[in-house]
Amino acid sequence: MAHIKVVRRSMRPEEWTDLRFGWLKRHVYKEKWEITNLMIRDARQTSEMEFQYYSEEYRPLKKGDMYFTPDGTAFIKADVDIPEELQGQELWFSLKTAAEICVKVNGKYIGGVDPNRERMLLSPYVNDKETLHFDMMGYNRSKPDDERNPESLSVRGCRQIFEGAYICVVNHKVQEFVWDFEILLDIAKSELFNEDYRAFLNRELNNAMNFIDFDSDELSGIEEAKKYVDEVIYANDNYKGNGDVALIAHSHLDVAYYWRRIHAVQKNLRTVLIQLRLMDRYPDFKYTHTQPYVYETLEKYYPEVFEELREKVEKGQFEPVGAMYVEPDCNVPSAESLIRQCLYGQLTYRRMFGKTVNNAWLPDVFGNSWILPQILKKSGVDYFVSNKMSTWNDTNRFPHNNFKWKGIDGSQVLACVPPTHFITWNMPSQIQENWEAYIDKDTGGQTMNMFGYGDGGSGCTEEMIELMHRFDKLSVMPKCEHMGAAEFLERNLKDNESLETWDGELYLEMHRGTFTTKSRLKRTNRRLEYKFRTAEMLSLLRKDDNRKELTDLYKKFLINQFHDILPGSHIHPVYVDAVEDYAEIEKELDRIIGTGSEYFNTLNIKRDAITFVPNKKGSATRYGEKGNWLIPAIAPLSGAKLRSVKGGDDWFTFDGKTVETPYYSLSFAPDGSFENLRDKELDREWTDGRFNKLTLYADCPGNYDAWDILPNYRDKEIPLDIDLPVSLAERDGESVSFRTVLRTDKSRWEMIIRLFRRSRGIEVESIVDWNEKHKLAKVEFDCNVLTRKALCDTSAGYIERETHRNTTWQQARFETCHHKWCDLSEAGGGVALINDGKYGVGFNENSMSLSLLRATIRPDVVSDIGRHNFCYMIYPHADDAVSAGINNIAHQYNVPLVKADVKWDMPDFAPLYLQAAKQSENGEMTVIRLSEQDGRRGRIKLGCKVKLLNMLEDEIGETDVIEYKPFEIITVGI
Amino acid sequence: MQIEKYVEQVLQPKLQGDGGWIEFVSFEDGELTVVFRGECSKCLILHRCVDWIEQQIKADLNKTVRVNAIRKKPYFQDV
Repeated sequence: MAHIKVVRRSMRPEEWTDLRFGWLKRHVYKEKWEITNLMIRDARQTSEMEFQYYSEEYRPLKKGDMYFTPDGTAFIKADVDIPEELQGQELWFSLKTAAEICVKVNGKYIGGVDPNRERMLLSPYVNDKETLHFDMMGYNRSKPDDERNPESLSVRGCRQIFEGAYICVVNHKVQEFVWDFEILLDIAKSELFNEDYRAFLNRELNNAMNFIDFDSDELSGIEEAKKYVDEVIYANDNYKGNGDVALIAHSHLDVAYYWRRIHAVQKNLRTVLIQLRLMDRYPDFKYTHTQPYVYETLEKYYPEVFEELREKVEKGQFEPVGAMYVEPDCNVPSAESLIRQCLYGQLTYRRMFGKTVNNAWLPDVFGNSWILPQILKKSGVDYFVSNKMSTWNDTNRFPHNNFKWKGIDGSQVLACVPPTHFITWNMPSQIQENWEAYIDKDTGGQTMNMFGYGDGGSGCTEEMIELMHRFDKLSVMPKCEHMGAAEFLERNLKDNESLETWDGELYLEMHRGTFTTKSRLKRTNRRLEYKFRTAEMLSLLRKDDNRKELTDLYKKFLINQFHDILPGSHIHPVYVDAVEDYAEIEKELDRIIGTGSEYFNTLNIKRDAITFVPNKKGSATRYGEKGNWLIPAIAPLSGAKLRSVKGGDDWFTFDGKTVETPYYSLSFAPDGSFENLRDKELDREWTDGRFNKLTLYADCPGNYDAWDILPNYRDKEIPLDIDLPVSLAERDGESVSFRTVLRTDKSRWEMIIRLFRRSRGIEVESIVDWNEKHKLAKVEFDCNVLTRKALCDTSAGYIERETHRNTTWQQARFETCHHKWCDLSEAGGGVALINDGKYGVGFNENSMSLSLLRATIRPDVVSDIGRHNFCYMIYPHADDAVSAGINNIAHQYNVPLVKADVKWDMPDFAPLYLQAAKQSENGEMTVIRLSEQDGRRGRIKLGCKVKLLNMLEDEIGETDVIEYKPFEIITVGI
Repeated sequence: MQIEKYVEQVLQPKLQGDGGWIEFVSFEDGELTVVFRGECSKCLILHRCVDWIEQQIKADLNKTVRVNAIRKKPYFQDV
């Protein structure tokens, strides 16, 4: 028996309404006069304000012509005399485009167009009796600002067809009615609203449309239809909505992502310009804009627009938010980097606007370190806004939206993690969805709903504001209130005792690959963080006043910590830019660090860990450099000559499989993994399965390739062939190294394992020619330790993480971010793993796996392909990690000795870690930053008075005794 | 300049700037075969870019070529 499925082929009433709505939109312009004398010149942007032009001359640009080229910028101009019949009317300039175009008329920036808007108001800014000189600069990209806007997606591509530019007169009657329909149709189509109300809307919208005669040239019946909507639809308050939603205008601007940093200058200009013009038109419109860095670019390159911005800031319409210099990744940067994000961000805002911004605005970052609350609080920041853990978690629903966030040291900030995406276009359904998803309805006050296109800027539109002005007419909508960010935060979070507390890191259950992708950036970032520390300290001790130079370098460094640069989620040219920036910064820092006749220990602990000191005549090799391993034994903050101990190499034995050292009896497998690691001193075995086992996994996370590692990555292991089994490589009186070479069909992995006469550390260096696709390389350690927790360095104290998988919360944290070390210990001993630039680590019961390399292809087709060279140190120890001093050893592992003839004449501040020693930004004092990293409480008697400072270097007190709490960061001025 | 170098040194950086990717494969009998990856691989209007490439080669190298475009979409977008 044949089965016939009933399919409706006739038009539904709702489709008839939709169809007529489409017709209605064609009548938005009363007059459209085409500009036919446009000229265009193609170019490509080569720096923030420089362009490589493809031709000497402009060429005509006509409707139907192809325009824009890959990664192209176009300059378009025309001299326009407004026809007499249009003069005196309210005139608009219209240009429908997939590109991002800033428009200047007679030397004044009038506005911008992009895929999210096609017109700008001309009349208030021009004299329509004069010739109007149009100058436009447009940048076209394959990837639109906001991929979630289907209209902008449909026009993506680097070669576009020019659809014409027009001087227009808007038919406001039609336009107003279009906006009415926009909002009502959105409700009618959304299942989030009452079913009966939606039936009512569908019926009455059809009735309203019936008043309009679409066959008439004048489109008669608009007034009647509008009256019907007012009197029948808006007047119906039988359907009550509930909720209380704050509407915050914002545009997310990635400083670099699918575009280079140089392009963000004009993206920011366009975004700001559009918002300023909306403010001119809508005096009630308030907009929030982040990242002092982009304010700086506007001030530098477009001072006239910046001046307008400053005026709007004074009027309270344009609100600078986000205390940090850019919106950085908040996993990988160290505590000092995050402090500098706040310091340079706040100082920039103070200089520009005379204000300290009391919020951090990080909606798009991929999780937030537990060290942040303290850093924010001590940088003048009371409020923290983020987003991703409430909208992107793949396993657990984050239990709060408005809450208190308690940091590692107990500091608290008031946090808002809105329940829905930070990019919306202010549609009723999006607002309703936000309210439905809002968890803290009973305790949190209003819910925050951000609106405005973003990722590449763009921001709010005329339509979004017009819709907002209609929300009050709809009883079915939640109560909506448009306000600024500070107003929202202070009204709902300040002094709100009912807020719940989240005590811990804000782990994002997604984007776990960003701890590892683009390995080179991570390692260089780590190295430079320490070089900045050294350069600032030595400048201070040498009394070199190079504050401006260091600040400029720091700012460039901080930009590269942006959340789509350092995490690796960007296109290839962004990577090239970052590598170039790093090279330039490093060269300058090396110059500032300089040299001397003695080795100087910049750490305020004695250097008693095994250290590699480069020396052309040395007998060992590391990172391709000759040198010697030695124990420097240099006192804290002191200098000394170093002499390597000449000894015989008979301190170890090797029988081809097992090496015997003063500390260990280690049996190698041919691939360099350890079959046994017997600790002679502690009389115990450390291995319990795979140990130092290099393992490759298929790593196929899908569309978010650079961002994600999925829990199923362990499903498929890729075999490695042994090219060269473990064999003795180098030996001297302090160290012995063994070498093995592993292979896949595309990559070569050389592993050098070093053991030492006078250290428990076992260092492993990898030299990799990596040519994989969709692979994750990990090194795995199954430790002979019974524990349910791992300790992980955060750069400002350690975090304990559960290693079992009892609940979905632990299951979701199968890959986490750590800094210099991690550790699995039981009473009596454990195994620490110290690294010099690896951040991703997974724990499972007694196993830890350090992520070494990934091979993703989106957004960068060749991400991580090429040569890699990195080290980690396996450090079995007695006691727990804190008692064993693993943090100090990790500092020594990451901070090279430098040659410098300087003298430290201040206290050494032990046992706190001397995180920074620098000249104050105002040049009036020495700033010392100290960090308690072991979880202890205590006091340091200084014997002299010092100023207590916040992290913005403002004086907050005076003392001669430093009292510190666990994990506290303290700043003093001398 | 040879076509291969032109693709790698002139065209490649421009397409990369747009999140795209082009690789030279061969040039025989006036037919230039290239692989498109990244954003180019799924571009709905790639033919316009291909036309532009042919125009650029004509303008810069004075060579008339026919581009044979091979799209290599990432597995997760190859639906």
